[in-house]
Amino acid sequence: MSSALHTYQREFHDNSTHLPGWNAWQIRRSRQAAMQRVMQTDLPTQKLENWKYTSTRRLSQTPYALYTGGCVGLYLEDLDPFLVDRQASHRLVFINGLLSRRLSCLDDLPNAVQVASMARIADESPAMLSPWLEPVLTGHDQGFAELNQALWLDGAFVHIPAGVQLIKPLQLLFLTTPFQEPIVTFPWNLVIVGKSAQALVIESYLTLGQGAHFSNARTTLVLEPQARLEHLLLLGESELAWHVGSVQATQKEGSRLDSRIFAAGGELTRQELQITLAGAEAECFQEGLFLAGRRQHMDLHSWLHHTCSNTRSRQLFKSVLDGHARGVFNGVIRIPPDLQNIQAEQKTANLLLTDTAEIDAKPQLEIHSDAVQCSHGATVGGMNPEAMFYLQSRGLDVDAARLLLIQGFADELLQTIKPAPVQEWLRQRLNQERNLP
Amino acid sequence: MNILEISNLHVAVMDKPILRGLELELKPGEVHAIMGPNGSGKSTLANLLAGREECQVTAGSVFYQGENLLVMAPEERAGKGLFLGFQNPVELPGISNVRLLKEAFNARQRHRGLPAMDALAFRDHLDQRSKRLGLSGEWLLRPVNVGFSGGEKKRNELLQMMVLEPRLAILDEIDSGLDIDALALVAEGINAMRDAQRSMLLITHYPRLLDLVHPDHVHVLMEGRIILSGGMALAQDLEKQGYGWLEEVAT
Ligand SMILES: Nc1ncnc2c1ncn2[C@@H]1O[C@H](COP(=O)(O)OP(=O)(O)OP(=O)(O)O)[C@@H](O)[C@H]1O
Ligand SMILES: [Mg+2]
Repeated sequence: MSSALHTYQREFHDNSTHLPGWNAWQIRRSRQAAMQRVMQTDLPTQKLENWKYTSTRRLSQTPYALYTGGCVGLYLEDLDPFLVDRQASHRLVFINGLLSRRLSCLDDLPNAVQVASMARIADESPAMLSPWLEPVLTGHDQGFAELNQALWLDGAFVHIPAGVQLIKPLQLLFLTTPFQEPIVTFPWNLVIVGKSAQALVIESYLTLGQGAHFSNARTTLVLEPQARLEHLLLLGESELAWHVGSVQATQKEGSRLDSRIFAAGGELTRQELQITLAGAEAECFQEGLFLAGRRQHMDLHSWLHHTCSNTRSRQLFKSVLDGHARGVFNGVIRIPPDLQNIQAEQKTANLLLTDTAEIDAKPQLEIHSDAVQCSHGATVGGMNPEAMFYLQSRGLDVDAARLLLIQGFADELLQTIKPAPVQEWLRQRLNQERNLP
Repeated sequence: MNILEISNLHVAVMDKPILRGLELELKPGEVHAIMGPNGSGKSTLANLLAGREECQVTAGSVFYQGENLLVMAPEERAGKGLFLGFQNPVELPGISNVRLLKEAFNARQRHRGLPAMDALAFRDHLDQRSKRLGLSGEWLLRPVNVGFSGGEKKRNELLQMMVLEPRLAILDEIDSGLDIDALALVAEGINAMRDAQRSMLLITHYPRLLDLVHPDHVHVLMEGRIILSGGMALAQDLEKQGYGWLEEVAT
């Protein structure tokens, strides 16, 4: 067993009674079962196909300490740069993985919308969580998602009831304030968007300061029939941080998910996206932008399961890699036999700014039905010399031309983001976090 | 002093000789037209003047306002007032027209040692010119050349020239793909830019634009050289007779 897992297991054993929902048998059982599974498989290593390019040595050998509370004297002003326009959004703020009620603001939530601490829900109304304790349709993941399932300490519980439209964006801010001893946080978020309900949820992982820490995050999205959810995920933690996250979404008939991910931070950032289109006329649009420099490692693993006829998906993932950065993209689209009228499109574009940056991009189309319109394309390349010459001929020097082209490459994904304050904020965060020329 | 002075210019692309002993002189305020068969090297000349790396000079010299042009980086040439309107301008996804124009304009200001124009004044400068070419406000927000029709690309190149106000404008087939009204607009734009200091080199296949612009000189580029020069009458002759009759002149 890896030494880190050994530590986690001991923590689990010693402190289990403090884990949220431990008194409720469903939650307790889910935690215990997950711990057992991860004990059997151990944390992933590069021997696993899905982890081939990702060294987990540091994660499986460093025993990060579980943060279980304690005073962090933060004022709302300290959070300013990490928050989307304060007036124009609702927010839940988690400091080191635990909800800070004082820094959160849910003043004018529409009636019946529930936004709460997962820990509180688990202790007070555990029955509300029971249908969602296990991954809904995708089966169990090996490793870190299991670890989260065993050890989650808090997170956001969001329920938008049927027919309700959440007008303002809801920001979930996970801010870590690194300590001498590196800590690990295990947030689990559950977002349920009811029938014909609508919401924009911004999930953001950021660091105050420059220390090392580990975020092991898990998010479950549930879209009831005709629900519309925009889910925006920002990964912008410190350059010493490690982030392993997984998003699992289940979409019922007629629902629409717009999933956008922007990753710029971390020494190692790995995100998994599992989306299941499980009802007719469900559609999912995914976009992702990965900006990595120095020796950053960024990993995106996406699984898109069409399990029902008449479903549509479109994916566009882009990366800009500088320095010695390493990118990994693995995109699975799975369409079982006998499905009719499926549309699936996957595109990736990767811009390598140096000879030492590297990308492993692997589309994996597992299509067993004929009634499928499926296209995919992947490009990997450096700066377009035609475009460079054009800009130089307009008076821009080489550096300015390069920068403009990189910004343009990224901007294709940024400029469609609405509302404007969210786009503006995201640009600022990315400018702040990214380590590009 | 001449704006442009090209002597005995030999240029190769991918080691293939394209220009072979080209001579050309432009004085301030003059408009010259270059005509010539497909593949004769007109765009090669234009690209070379703008500083494209692939064009290797194997002999000869090019002086721009008395300075050796061939040692300058492309952006330096632009900074000194040289502008190329491309035959096939490249698409720049994610970069809006207004963004490019602002960057280019400010680069020019910097090069002249002038402060950047404030946003409102620039907006004004831009609006006047884009209206003249029938390119609406929304146009300016579109990414450069992405999904533009052939004619739109050409009008956009001209817009850039009008915003940047160069000393020497080289317009490579600015009239190709334009409908009749757009051609009139473009000719108007070119004429509005003419003054005693500004020179232009128009590359074209058709006398239609030249009828509206009245160049001072018309040249024929064939076999890598200017083989014949004249006035508007030469353009008319070419329209009627093609280039075949010139082959003797060339050899
Ligand atoms: N990158 C290149 N590699 C190989 N040959 C090239 C390259 N660029 C240009 N050429 C060749 O150089 C010659 C001159 O091309 P150029 O584009 O200058 O012609 P042109 O006079 O502008 O023609 P047109 O009227 O069709 O625009 C052509 O034979 C062309 O094929
Ligand atoms: Mg040409």
